[in-house]
Formats: sequence, structure tokens, C-alpha cells
Amino acid sequence: MAKQAELLQGTLDLLILRTLELRPLHGVGISERIEQVTRGVFVVGPGSLFPALHRLAEKGWIEGEWSELEGKRRVKTYVLTASGRAQLAAEKRNWQKVFTAMNRALAEEF
Amino acid sequence: MAWMKRAHSIYRLLFRREKVEAELDAEVNSYFDTLAERHMERGMSPEDARRAARVQFEGPEQVKEKVREVRVGTMIDATLKDVRYALRMLRKNPGFLAVAVCSLAIGIGATSAIYSIADAMLLRPLPVPHASEVIAITPVSDQPFSALNLVSYPDYKEFRDRNRTFEGLAASSYSFFGFAPNRDTLPRMKFGMVVSGNFFQVLGVEPTLGRGFRPEEDQAVGRDAVAVLSHDLWVSEYDAKRSVIGEKVWLNGIEFTIIGVASESFTGTDQFLRPALYVPLAMSPALTNTNNLDQRQVRWLSLKARLKPGMGIPQAQADLSAIAGVLRKTYPNIDGNLRVKVESQFEYQLHYSPPTMAFAVMLGILALCVLLVACANVAGLLLSRASARAREIAVRLAIGAGRISLVRQLLIENLLVAILGGAAGLSFAFAMVKFFNSLPLPTDIPIKFAVQLDSRVLLFTAIVAIASTFLFGLSPALRSTRPELVPALKAIDAVTFKRRPLWGRNLMVSAQVALSLALLTISGVMVQGFGVQLAQGPGFRTNHLFLMSLNTTLVRYTDAQKKLFFEQLLEKTRLAPGVKSAALASAVPLAIGNSPIGIVPERHQLPRGQESISVFHSVVSDGYFETMGVTIVKGRSFLESDRQNTTPVAVVNEQLARHYWPGQNPIGKRFHLRNANGPWVQIAGVARATKVLSITEAPLDFVYLPLAQNPQPQMTLIAESKSPDATTLAPVLRHTVQQIDRNMPVFDVRSMADLYENRAVKTPNMMASIVAILGFMGLILTIVGLYGLVAYSVSRRTREIGIRMAIGADRKSVSRMVLKQGFVLGIAGVSVGLVIGILACRAIASSAFMSLGNPGIKPFVAVSLLLILTTMGATYLPARRASHIDPMQALRDE
Repeated sequence: MAKQAELLQGTLDLLILRTLELRPLHGVGISERIEQVTRGVFVVGPGSLFPALHRLAEKGWIEGEWSELEGKRRVKTYVLTASGRAQLAAEKRNWQKVFTAMNRALAEEF
Repeated sequence: MAWMKRAHSIYRLLFRREKVEAELDAEVNSYFDTLAERHMERGMSPEDARRAARVQFEGPEQVKEKVREVRVGTMIDATLKDVRYALRMLRKNPGFLAVAVCSLAIGIGATSAIYSIADAMLLRPLPVPHASEVIAITPVSDQPFSALNLVSYPDYKEFRDRNRTFEGLAASSYSFFGFAPNRDTLPRMKFGMVVSGNFFQVLGVEPTLGRGFRPEEDQAVGRDAVAVLSHDLWVSEYDAKRSVIGEKVWLNGIEFTIIGVASESFTGTDQFLRPALYVPLAMSPALTNTNNLDQRQVRWLSLKARLKPGMGIPQAQADLSAIAGVLRKTYPNIDGNLRVKVESQFEYQLHYSPPTMAFAVMLGILALCVLLVACANVAGLLLSRASARAREIAVRLAIGAGRISLVRQLLIENLLVAILGGAAGLSFAFAMVKFFNSLPLPTDIPIKFAVQLDSRVLLFTAIVAIASTFLFGLSPALRSTRPELVPALKAIDAVTFKRRPLWGRNLMVSAQVALSLALLTISGVMVQGFGVQLAQGPGFRTNHLFLMSLNTTLVRYTDAQKKLFFEQLLEKTRLAPGVKSAALASAVPLAIGNSPIGIVPERHQLPRGQESISVFHSVVSDGYFETMGVTIVKGRSFLESDRQNTTPVAVVNEQLARHYWPGQNPIGKRFHLRNANGPWVQIAGVARATKVLSITEAPLDFVYLPLAQNPQPQMTLIAESKSPDATTLAPVLRHTVQQIDRNMPVFDVRSMADLYENRAVKTPNMMASIVAILGFMGLILTIVGLYGLVAYSVSRRTREIGIRMAIGADRKSVSRMVLKQGFVLGIAGVSVGLVIGILACRAIASSAFMSLGNPGIKPFVAVSLLLILTTMGATYLPARRASHIDPMQALRDE
């Protein structure tokens, strides 16, 4: 198992928004999904996930809704809002810029 | 139902704390359960699964705490961002900001200033602890000034000892004292109170120094020569030195011991009068040489009581009415008509002086009108701004901004405007209050018109400021966050396309025109009325006269000494150099101190339960009418031959003669003085009516009584000078008094011209100018409002006007079209305003305290014309702009 990478400031928000872009998920689902797609590089525990979710909800980018999970328990499912979608698009562009710039900078050395 | 959802979210935003906490708990628990479930799916036992989940979950409390921090942080962030954004938006629109802030400043300033006046006159509670428990007890009579309805000492004792509803019942009376801190210094006149021994206890006044009176200190007549100083006197006369307790002071030549200093906050039981010192009632016979303590027919005390816990005014009223019933039966000749009214101090203050009250109420209504006009302006501005910003808001909604946050954003902008407007309004109010306090009151009595901006006024201002912007800001805010996105984004005015005419704003502007027209006509009618009254004059001479008041009580004269003193004074003054004529009067018209007396005209049927008619009166010496220049229209004036032992006579004014003996010759007719048991007095002459209380009053019934038949302790010497400058008489008259008695203090020394200027000219001018200022403020606000509306509608109709011009309308017809809009609004407002103005002027004219005469049609026509012209002026600029629209530009601008 690869060593867990440290999350860049703001990366978690982008990851959550991206995860929710595909479909609404509850907290555990989001955490598992992030771990899965990053192949275990990023493990998001509740200690960082909860504040991030609430911060995004306060900003109006995602919305939490209570729903029944397989008729057993109530879980809170998060959905991306319209403004969240806009924010995601903006952050994606920004990320691309940063990513290319960083790669270029690092490639220069060789 | 959209608004319900929105209201719910706002509610949650404000009050949701507990609910959100519970939700967070549920969320954390559900997360935990889900984790455990996952572990179980991988084959762990339930216990192991829970343990593993717990390990993964790094302490649920810390997680919750972090969430809370995030939430508070983002809220603060959002608010700060909103404030910064709002400031930027406001800076971008300095015109909007200036107009909105000025409108609010004028509205709020006027309302706060008027409120502080009303507060000084009627609203401020007594400066005592638990003031709401303190109530006033006044006998019922036909005269409306509550301060003049008094009780005798024997009746007071019955009320005090028999009632079951009061903690205590205190009596007090105002009095002048010849005050000398040392035995040999010349006494100076001080205004103070004689009070019952329980006075300070009942009111709950804690002394700053020493003690208040004890109940036993008004038991034995003349025994306890003790005095309590007011805080003001202690500071001004004794430099606030603490050793003052036990010092001697000479009041009317009697030695008193100072036993206490009242608390600084306690300024007496009256909102205007500030007593300088207090002495026990039992000392009043010694101080005045007249014992009123056993005289049931002499009514001179005002009563204040503190209710027992759990007792209310109805119980007290029932209690005291029963006692009054017993008194009526026991003393039918004196108290046959005694009825008492128990009222709160606030009600008492309302009845204190009906003319003042009427003026305060009128000012209050007018100030509220100005505030309404100002708020309408701000609302109009906000509405048009909201429409102008529809595109910006639509963009923000489209990129996903929440409605709540947008509404919050707009409200924060409004709040900033409110704060700025409120602050500006407050400084404006402060200036006005300073102006009011600078007006001098022409008397030596320490009357203080204590207009001040205290915490209650500040609170009032804050409430008015915030309520008015929120009230008028919320609806535009809600409305502008609900535009149809598509047309708004297309930069087409959403509202136009919904065919929603500007009914609200048209109505508001018309109402503004109507209100300012009403305000201006009222002030016009007042100014004209005052002008007429001033031109007619007060009915007596106002130049060449000099006044000086003397009170023989202050030097404790006997009745014989009093008589002799006043006779000598008159004789010597008439011989003094520079004096043309002289007279004495107990009350000078328009001065403070005019009081009513009861009369019962012969063969006049009094209403049931009423023992006399109260009319204003003055006791005057012979020569009074000649000195004062009051014309005797029938019969004769008082002569030296009217003596103690001749038939009691009186001079009445025309108004009274007409009132009770219409169409008859009043000479020789008779009336009872005081009540039906009082002596017969024969009318010897009829004088022309003069003003009594104010220059604006309708003629009042008035009775003059001769001094020789009605000895008085306090008189005002009125001297007519030979030279045009009456003030040259001041040293002459002082010298004359000193020649007779070196110790006699004089007070209220001034010329009649000065009195008249202050009481008759300045006061009504001040009233008229306040109303006029309010009217002009209203007018300015209206012009701004109208201009704003028309300019806005022109900017909205740019495209339409462009089309009109493209298909052949010329500039003239376009500007005519715009002018017509303003004209229609103006005319609508003017016609409604005329109706309001006429009704208001009728209402003012019908109140007996303001006689403005028949205003005629002039002020109405003048003000209507002024308003139509100003409305046209306000529409002219937008009309010009409309006529300069370039059709090509307007149509391309899409």
C-alpha cells in the first residue's frame, strides 16, 4: 500500500466536488470513492471530511439530504448544486493550469 | 409557496442552532453505523466492527467541534464579504447614497428631535425609583390644566389616613423663599416646595447627603425648621461641600437647619419646575404668616402616592372615591362637589397643559409625515436601484448564488444606508435639540425645558432607522431576487415585459406630494394666522412698560403690612423720576403665573356636579387699565374709592360679558366669587379682551378684581416710563423698593417689550418655523422622489422613446409626454393634499388653543401653485434628457 499523500490545500474540496459530480453520495461513500479512485493515495477520514462537507454546504456548492438507506437507516446524502457545478468547472480549469505549470517546472530540471 | 420556503430558510439561519446540532449528531452517528456495517460486510463480528469503526473515527466530539468552527467561520466570512461588497456598491453610486442618507437623516432627525421634545413635555417618567408605582391624585373640575387642580390640607389628611391602597400619600406645594445663607445677607428669591413629612419616603428619593424628612416633622406647626436642599442648589451655593449638613440657612428670615441634600437625579415632581429646596408643610404657616393647614376650603396641595404592591389604579380610584364620598357628606358646604381622579403620572402629564399637549401631538404627527415621505423616498430609490440591478442579480442567481445570501446581501446594503442615515439624523436631531434648549424662558422661576437626547431617544432613533430601511428595503430585495431570469439576462427590463405599471411608486410619489402640500398649507395658515394675531396686537401696551415682581411672604408681612407696603410702593413709584404711571397686578398677561378663579354668574345654571366656572383672573390696583393701555368699553375701571368696606366690584372682559349676559348691559350684574357660597361681586366695568396665555389663543373669559378688596401677597409692579427705553426704570424701581424695605427681594425684573418678544413673538414664530421647516423638508424630499421616479421611468423607456422618435415623434412631443407624467402625479397629489390640508386646518382651528382666524383661500392657492411648479421643475430635467435621446443609439443599445 502506497504511503498516503498529504492533501494539498483546497484539493480536498475539488476531490469532493468531483466525486459528487458523478452521483449523489453519503459521507462514507465519498470517502471510499476518493480512496478508490486515487488508489489509496488519499484516505479521507471523518476528521477532515466532515468540516469540508459543511464548508462546501455553507458556500452553497453542495446540499445534504436525508434519505433511507435500503429501508434500514437514514443517511445524509450530498448532492452537487448548480453553483457547485460552476465552482467545480472553475477549479478544474485552475487545477489544469497549476498541474501543467508544475509539470513544466519540474520537467525543466532534466 | 416559494416565499414560504425562503422564509423558512431565513428562520433556520437565525434560530436553527439546536436543530442543526441534532442533525450533526445524527449525521455523525449514521456515518459511524455505516462504517461499522462495512466492516461487518467484510466478515467482522458486530463488536469487532464497532471497535474498528471507532478507531477509524478519530473522536466524534473533535469532528463535531471542527464542523462548528467551519460553520461560524464561513458565516463571519460571508458577512464580512457582504459588508465589503455593499460598501463597494454604495461607493459606486454616490448619488444614490447621498439622496438616501439625506432623506433618512431628515426624516429620522426630525422625528427624533420632535420625540425628544415630546419626551421633555410629556413622556419622561418621574425621576424616582419604580416610577410606574407613583400616581397622581387630582380633584375633578371643569378646568383642564391638571397642575391647577389642588386639594386642601384637611382633605389630604383624610385621604392619607383612610386609604387602603397606598404605601403612602404625599402632598406638596410650590412656594417662593427669600433665601439667605447668612443672617445678614440680602435674601434672594428661590423657588422651592413645602412638602409633607413622608414626601421623600413615598417617592423613594435617597438623599445624597444627610437624610430626608421624617413623617413626624410635619406634625407640629412651626416646630421643625429643617430644610433639604436640591442637588443643584447644593452645588451652586455650597460648592458641594459635605459639611453643609447642620448648617443654618435663613428662609423668609426664619432660621432653618439643613438636614439633607436630595439625590442628583431627583429634580422634583414636575417636568418643568425645578425646586431648589424643600421644607416641611408644617413650616408653611410660619413662612407665610397664613395658616392654611386647618382651612378645608383652601386648596393648594398636589398629591402623589405610591401604590401598594398588587394594587392598581382602578382599586385606588374606588378607594379614594369612597373617601371623597364621605367628605362630600360630612362637609357639604365645602366639599359638596368633591370628586377625585386617580391617574398615572403619564396621564397627569398629558393633562398638565392641554395647549402644549395639542402642539406636541400636532408636531408629532407632522414629523411622522416627514418620516413617511423620507421612507417613501428611500423605498422608491431602492426599488429603482433593484430594477437597475436586476441584471447583476440575475447573473448571480444564474451562477448559483443562493437567494438567501442575495437577500442578505441587499439587506446589509440597506442596513449600511440606515446606519449612515441614522447617524446623520442623530447629529441633525442633536442640533435641533441644542436650538430648543437655547430658547430662553422669561422668568426667574427655574423652569427647565430639559430637552435631551438620552438613551431612550437613541433607542428610538435606532429603531426608526433600522425599521424604516428594513420595511422599505425587504420588499424590493425579495422582489429583485425573483426576476424572470431569461428576460433579465437579455438586458430587457423584466418588469416592463410583465406589464406591471409602476403603481406602487406612482402612489408613493403622489402621497409625498399630498403630504408635503398638507404640511406646507398648515404652516402657511399658521404663519398667516400668527401674522394677523401679531398685527392685531395683544390688547395691551407692550412698550414703555417695566415689570418687577415682589412677594411679601418672603419677608413675612402681616396682612396690614402687606396692604401698607403695596400702597406705599404704588405711591412712591408714581412720584419717582421718569415714571409716567404705575399699577400693580397679581398676574401679567402672557407672563407665567396666570391662574383661574371660580365664579358663579347670577341666574346661571351650572352643570350638575360643578361648583363654579373657572375663568382666568388678575387682581389689580387702580390705574391698571390706564397704565396697561387696556380700553374700558363700558362702565368704569377701578378707583381709589373701591375699598375693603365698599361693595365688592369687578371688571370683566367683553368675552365674559358676551358669554353670560348676551345682549344685555352687564354693568351692575352680579356673580358669586369662588363658588355659590362665595361673596357677591358686582360688575362695574367691561374691558376689551387681551391675550392671556398666548398670542394665538381665542379670546378667553377674564375677570379683574381690585387689590383693595382682594389682598394678595405677591404682585407685579408695572411702571410706564416717560422715555421710550423702559429699562431705564430698573434702577429707579429697585431704589424705590429698597427705600420701603431693604430686605424685600425683587424678581422677574424685565421690560414688557422683552416679555412680549419672548412669549408672544418668539414662541409662535418658533412653532410656525418648526412646522414650516418640516413642510420644506417634506417638499425637498418630494422633489427628490419625483425626480427619481420620472428619471427612472425615462431610463426604462429609452427604447420605447427611441422607437417613437424613429417613427416621427419630435423632441417637443417626447418631452411633453414625460412632463405629463410628472404633471399627472403632481395634480393627483395636490388634490388629495388640499383635502388633507383643509381638514387639518379645520381641526387646528377648532382646538380652542390656537385661534388662527379664517385662513381664506390664499395659502391654499399659493401652496398648490408652488407644488405644481416644483413638480414640473422636478420633471423638467428627465424630460429634457428624454427629448435628447438619439433614436439610433437607443435602438442599437441591446
